[in-house]
Amino acid sequence: MPEILTITTGGDLRTLLRDADLGKLHLSLDEADGGSAFTLLDTFDAQVAAAELLLLLTEDGLHLLGGAAPLVQAHAEPDFLARMPAGPVTKRLSGIVSPLRTLMSVAGGTLSRQGLRVLDDNEKTHLRGTLHVLDAGKGRTVSVSDLTPLRGYDKTLRKVGSALSGRAGKGKVNTMLEASAVLRGEDPALIGKTRVVMSADEKAFKAANDIIRAQLVAARRQEDGIRADLDSEFLHEYRVALRRVRSVISLFKGVYDDKQTADLKARFGAIMARTGRLRDLDVYLIEREAYLALVPEGFRPGIGKLFDMFAAQRDVEHAKLTAYLDSKAYQKEMAKLEALFDKTKALSKGPEAKRHALDYAKALIWKRYRKVCKIARDIDDATPDAQVHELRIECKKLRYLMEFFAPLFGDAEVRKLIKALKGLQDNLGNFNDYSVQQAALQAQAEALVGGTAADTVEIASGLGALVTVLHQKQLEERARVAASFAAFDSAETQAQFRSLFKPGGEAKP
Amino acid sequence: MKIVACYSNKGGVGKTASAVNIAYGLAKAGQRVLLCDLDPQGASGFYFRVKPSKKLTDARFFTDVKRFTSAIRGSDFDNLDILPANMSFRDFDVFLSRMKNSRSRLKKALKSVDKDYDVVLLDCPPNISTLSENVFKSADAILVPVIPTTLSERTFEQLLAFFDENGLPKKKILGFFSMVQGTKKLHSETVEAMRKRYGKRLLDVAVPFSSEVEKMGVHRAPVGTFARNNAAVKGYDLLCNELLERL
Repeated sequence: MPEILTITTGGDLRTLLRDADLGKLHLSLDEADGGSAFTLLDTFDAQVAAAELLLLLTEDGLHLLGGAAPLVQAHAEPDFLARMPAGPVTKRLSGIVSPLRTLMSVAGGTLSRQGLRVLDDNEKTHLRGTLHVLDAGKGRTVSVSDLTPLRGYDKTLRKVGSALSGRAGKGKVNTMLEASAVLRGEDPALIGKTRVVMSADEKAFKAANDIIRAQLVAARRQEDGIRADLDSEFLHEYRVALRRVRSVISLFKGVYDDKQTADLKARFGAIMARTGRLRDLDVYLIEREAYLALVPEGFRPGIGKLFDMFAAQRDVEHAKLTAYLDSKAYQKEMAKLEALFDKTKALSKGPEAKRHALDYAKALIWKRYRKVCKIARDIDDATPDAQVHELRIECKKLRYLMEFFAPLFGDAEVRKLIKALKGLQDNLGNFNDYSVQQAALQAQAEALVGGTAADTVEIASGLGALVTVLHQKQLEERARVAASFAAFDSAETQAQFRSLFKPGGEAKP
Repeated sequence: MKIVACYSNKGGVGKTASAVNIAYGLAKAGQRVLLCDLDPQGASGFYFRVKPSKKLTDARFFTDVKRFTSAIRGSDFDNLDILPANMSFRDFDVFLSRMKNSRSRLKKALKSVDKDYDVVLLDCPPNISTLSENVFKSADAILVPVIPTTLSERTFEQLLAFFDENGLPKKKILGFFSMVQGTKKLHSETVEAMRKRYGKRLLDVAVPFSSEVEKMGVHRAPVGTFARNNAAVKGYDLLCNELLERL
């Protein structure tokens, strides 16, 4: 596979290339095509662009720019990847685009294409490719060009690459993610994720408010996708954002006074409560195939019918949630909460509000880390499940605190520790999911009484089989907990926690 | 992979122009082609604007697989790569025998972008030497451009005699009429006489003379790229088809 140079810039690449010092080489452009309409496809959280690719839909097909080579396949409307026609583009995207996320139109405009060559003083071609100029209107233009060396001209590719490196052109666009953000009219730093700037000596009160404000923005960004029911991740992300808000409120003790804390907890809790049932049903439906595979053949028709029931319930729940999101009450409440954290004057401060964020963060994380270790070290095969559940909750709190304050400690360092924690969390999460699912399915079984006779028996026996398997799975996860913790509790990880978070120690800049 | 040598023991017969246009024609027909510029005077690489590689003057060149393959340059045309000129031929026989040996490192390394070349076309120097002898042994076909004149007929005869004397298989020789001027009585008479005498040693095709072919040096490109409908271009296309049938 030949090396390939992908140049991504804001504005029009042609100007950049003309100005670049290429020595004896020069640029030649074929005539541009007449221009055609394009739609930029991606998931809402820009998974394609994050993988340094741009997916374009034009009249003549699906085009994937970037990567080893530009790919093309026949025109197809965006959908979940698995539902789109097979071809080189969809093949390349599998493993990049989550099966839970749908591809959708995220921007559009006019695309003009033209052949591009780099030639030497003998007019011999060394590199060639295609220049794509994407214009989404309102000055939102980016250029993407691939350049492939002809055989034996790799040196030229490197030369042109270094002559152009660091010359981002208009709008400091260097990556596909940035190019995608320009076309979408979004802030590249915010596309798909939230990012909070934090300094060591700012007040804990400000840190808490900044995080909550960012999470509120993240939550509200998901609302249209939830309403349109594009995929289940919109609701999931919405809940994650609100859960983070609630974690800040409950974990940042003393930043708000007691009354304020209780009030905020109750108000965000009330919003979250509207979403729980729909999310549960989403999770079941996502796992439909996996559940079917868990039980013997004979029970599958019953399970199938059970899932049909879930699907019907889900439609009802989705309509309910949409109505809630559209309600004046919700809109008003959200506007009020946003205003509260925008202005912050109306928030009642607690005793810790004025503490420096770094001090405060260390104290919170260190305390939570020690608590996790204390609970975990006592766990053996005989420990009651309740304690394992408690460990799971403490781990989650620790994880959130580390994520919130990561900007203060260096993202890379914190990411390493979070990765260490993740193995334990996955184990505990599975343990919990199996336990919750058993309970929920049993509740479903009780609710079945009163269904039509034939179906009820069939579904109930399927349910029974499923609960049995889930119980078995839960026991397997339970048996792994001590080992998972031991893996997390390495001397190296301990030392890293101590050096990063132990109060009184030096923080990394 | 077939090795085809473009050879003439007489100068001024359009050998290099033929090699360039045949390489281009084969590539256009979908064959993956490597054109090796072995003629220090011919400079088929010149017609493709490829600069001669300095590294290639070294005698060790032909024994060094990596140096060989990294000297190959892509032409501006699909399926057509060039090995530029300026080389010493001391180890050329080693090189050729390795090219034929499917287990040799050279054979394995000698690939176009991802697959084997279909045709390796050698633009050979115009004399009978140790090199040409080895080329004659290794090549699957030897294309010999012949201008239909008495003198050319004599040199063609000499080449066949050389094959006889050295026990080389004459059926590899594929002569073709080049720079034919139909209006010249001598040309048409020689063509007729030689066809009778040499039969299958001559391809059916006759590439006509064209001033466009002479302009290749100005354009620095195969004639087919700037004079698409020229009679010589059609001649070369027919020649490519016939060559592929014979291989």
